[in-house]
Amino acid sequence: MTALLEVEEVVRTFGAVRAVDGASFAVEERSITGLIGPNGAGKSTLFATIAGSLKPDSGRIVFAGARIDRRPTYRVARAGVVRTYQAARVLTRMTVLDNLLLASTRHPGERLAGVVLRPRAARAHERRTLDRAREMLALVRLESHEHDYAGTLSGGQRKLLDLARVLMLEPSLVLLDEPIAGVSPALRVELLDHILAVRRDRSITFLIVEHDLDFVMQAADRVVVMNEGRVIAVGTPDEVRTNEQVVDAYLGTAH
Amino acid sequence: MFLQLVANGLVTGSVYAIAAVGVSLVYGILRLVNFAYGDMMAFGALIAFGVNGPLHQSMVVATLAGMAATAALALTLDLVLWKPLRARRAGFMSLFLASIGLALVLRQALLLAAGSQPRSYHVNPYRVFVLGGVRLSEQQLIAIVTAAGTIVVVGLFLTLTTVGRVLRAMADDRSLAAVAGIDVGRATRLAWLISGLLAGLAGVLAALVEYSFDPNFGFELLLPVFAAVVLGGIGSAYGALAGGLALGVAQEVSTWSGFAGGVNPVYKPVVAFAVLAVALMIRPQGFFGQARTG
Amino acid sequence: MSILASGSFWAFVGVVAGIYTILALGLQVQFGFAGLLNFGQVAFMAISAYTMAILVVKEGWSTWLAAPLAIVAAAVGGLFLGLSSLRLRADYFAIVTIAFSEIVRYVATNDTSLTGGTQGTIALGPIGTASEYNGQWSRFEGRVQHALGFSSSDATMLVIVWAVAVVLLALTWFALRTPWGRVLRAIRDDEDAAASLGKNTFAYKLQALALGAALAGVAGLFYAWEFSFFSPDDFQPLLTFFAWMILLLGGVGRVWAVPVGAGVFGFIFAGTRFLNFPPFSWFASDQRAYLRLIIVGLIILALVLVRPQGLLGNKREMVLE
Repeated sequence: MTALLEVEEVVRTFGAVRAVDGASFAVEERSITGLIGPNGAGKSTLFATIAGSLKPDSGRIVFAGARIDRRPTYRVARAGVVRTYQAARVLTRMTVLDNLLLASTRHPGERLAGVVLRPRAARAHERRTLDRAREMLALVRLESHEHDYAGTLSGGQRKLLDLARVLMLEPSLVLLDEPIAGVSPALRVELLDHILAVRRDRSITFLIVEHDLDFVMQAADRVVVMNEGRVIAVGTPDEVRTNEQVVDAYLGTAH
Repeated sequence: MFLQLVANGLVTGSVYAIAAVGVSLVYGILRLVNFAYGDMMAFGALIAFGVNGPLHQSMVVATLAGMAATAALALTLDLVLWKPLRARRAGFMSLFLASIGLALVLRQALLLAAGSQPRSYHVNPYRVFVLGGVRLSEQQLIAIVTAAGTIVVVGLFLTLTTVGRVLRAMADDRSLAAVAGIDVGRATRLAWLISGLLAGLAGVLAALVEYSFDPNFGFELLLPVFAAVVLGGIGSAYGALAGGLALGVAQEVSTWSGFAGGVNPVYKPVVAFAVLAVALMIRPQGFFGQARTG
Repeated sequence: MSILASGSFWAFVGVVAGIYTILALGLQVQFGFAGLLNFGQVAFMAISAYTMAILVVKEGWSTWLAAPLAIVAAAVGGLFLGLSSLRLRADYFAIVTIAFSEIVRYVATNDTSLTGGTQGTIALGPIGTASEYNGQWSRFEGRVQHALGFSSSDATMLVIVWAVAVVLLALTWFALRTPWGRVLRAIRDDEDAAASLGKNTFAYKLQALALGAALAGVAGLFYAWEFSFFSPDDFQPLLTFFAWMILLLGGVGRVWAVPVGAGVFGFIFAGTRFLNFPPFSWFASDQRAYLRLIIVGLIILALVLVRPQGLLGNKREMVLE
């Protein structure tokens, strides 16, 4: 299996704090990789640098052979790396359907020049996007909320919408930021099913940051463990669970 | 000649600095860009005129009266306008728009009450001091000295007193400060009090230095003051001081003939904006500011 | 009181309301749809009006060639402002836009050889040529008046301005229903979320700024044609604030709310001329001018406090969070 994403010696500081202190690991294609570690380990910061909302101070992030660490967020997304947010960032003042329609790629209607010069192509693309959006809505069982404002959805529903939206972008790598935080047990199972199904059917790779170790152990093929800005262990869930360094890190005895 | 320009720049810069500290203080605590600040300065200057002219008091008394009146105005406005807006959880845009509406009302009210004719304080503009080749009028010297003293006092107040530390804590994180048991309401009123006092002082000094002024002069000062605040980083009092002085000096020095003939003095405000624009392009958060997202 | 019944006066108010509608429409595109805090809108009006006047009077161009170029000039002004300042955080951007607008006014005031300085466009050229852009326009207006069978040029101007305004409103409304418009609305809602969906938010904001500036440019042209001569003092920040007030009055984020806001604003502003009864009659007429602006300011405050979504706005879509 080839490495889809390679993180090489990434460093990111905030003032005097070295949030990420030389982290390196690889994410293999079509894997579900978990990224765990105690609070303050640097997971969220590392996530943000991969997604492009933060620039690393040094180090490289390579995706499908190309460096993405210097690119702005939108170009990282266009390259095929998309993320969800821990507090699902749906567009609350727009409808659920609009939220999904926005997740189209290369839409001629989204460019001013396209609207004026290629109206038919724009309309055709819009129709296709509409169909796909409805498909996605059905997938996450939110069809009845199509015309509701996304702001009226519950937390769990927003997470589903967020997931549906990133999937519409037909990404190669999905970064899930604490996907089950604040989610009911039943919905947790549903989300896990979605992730597994999507990985299987659409060949999408997942990198999941999550505090709930049970979920990660269930969902992930491989787990990367961080502590104090560095990667301290990589392996299968079982390997990592019994790794002494990891246990120490969580118990706070490691330095 | 060059030194003279620097000195003149320090004078203008001193006024900017005091006002900038006042603006920055309120912004730090309330996230409110007070567009009405210029008109509050004009208010202070006019009250001082009323005390100095018709009531024949000395400039010192007049200045104190102006400062007190402006502080009272600031507190009243907080009670009547800003507090209700906070209660409605008004966001940045609402507050900005409200401060614009307020500026309109305040300025027109001043024009209505006082008329648009220019006025001057009863001072002797011809007393000049010569220091190391530089000529400064009495008013200019007073402006520099007062500004320096005031900012030192304010700076010490913010750093050394308990309540000053409270204000700084709130600037860092208002909600956290509330949870930590700080009386947010009292601290807010204190911030407005200081902001109002500074506005009054800056207004009087500006009017003193310009010699003749009318109710419109506040707005003309407002933009360089905002530029100074932005330059120094919103929320930082020392930054406001540095920004104010830097802008004042830059404006005056730009007219120096040594710079390829110098900028036409008429375009001095444009210089202030140009400095701001360039500075923001180099360092979008200002020189002392933190990179906060909107 | 006789002026109250004067059709000519109300036609004039209607023309001004139409000009403000176009100006505020530009602001609606920038703020209502892309979330940009532009407090320098009047600058683009000035750029357009002066560009046209200078091209016609000094370079001898036809008004009909100068006008489109003037609109382009305004749009370029918007691009310039955007490219230099859009990456700043919202509050700094707002301050820079005001600075931009004041710089434009400042240059217009002081570069007398270019713009006629404080005297305004009447000083652009010798008597006769200085009114040339207005002369060409008047001839056009006369032809329209004749075609429509109107007896007054005020009514004709009213029809022309509002015809253009309606077309622009319709075009804007249509543009917002496109996928392009959808991205704009997403950016207003949550810019980072839009970026993480692969949208180049900077480009969209720049386009919104430039389009809004172009609309202000159209307003500037009509201003020039209606008032014949103008000077830099006609383009003070106050006009931008009036445009903001119209946006607040009608409702942020709704295209067709703009003419409603402009109409109400025009009515209030014109209506306050007739405050001939106590307590207003106690003031001298020049003082009443100040009073009217105080009323305008108080209305802005009241709107922000009480009904920030405007007369027609949707509370759910309220942007002034």
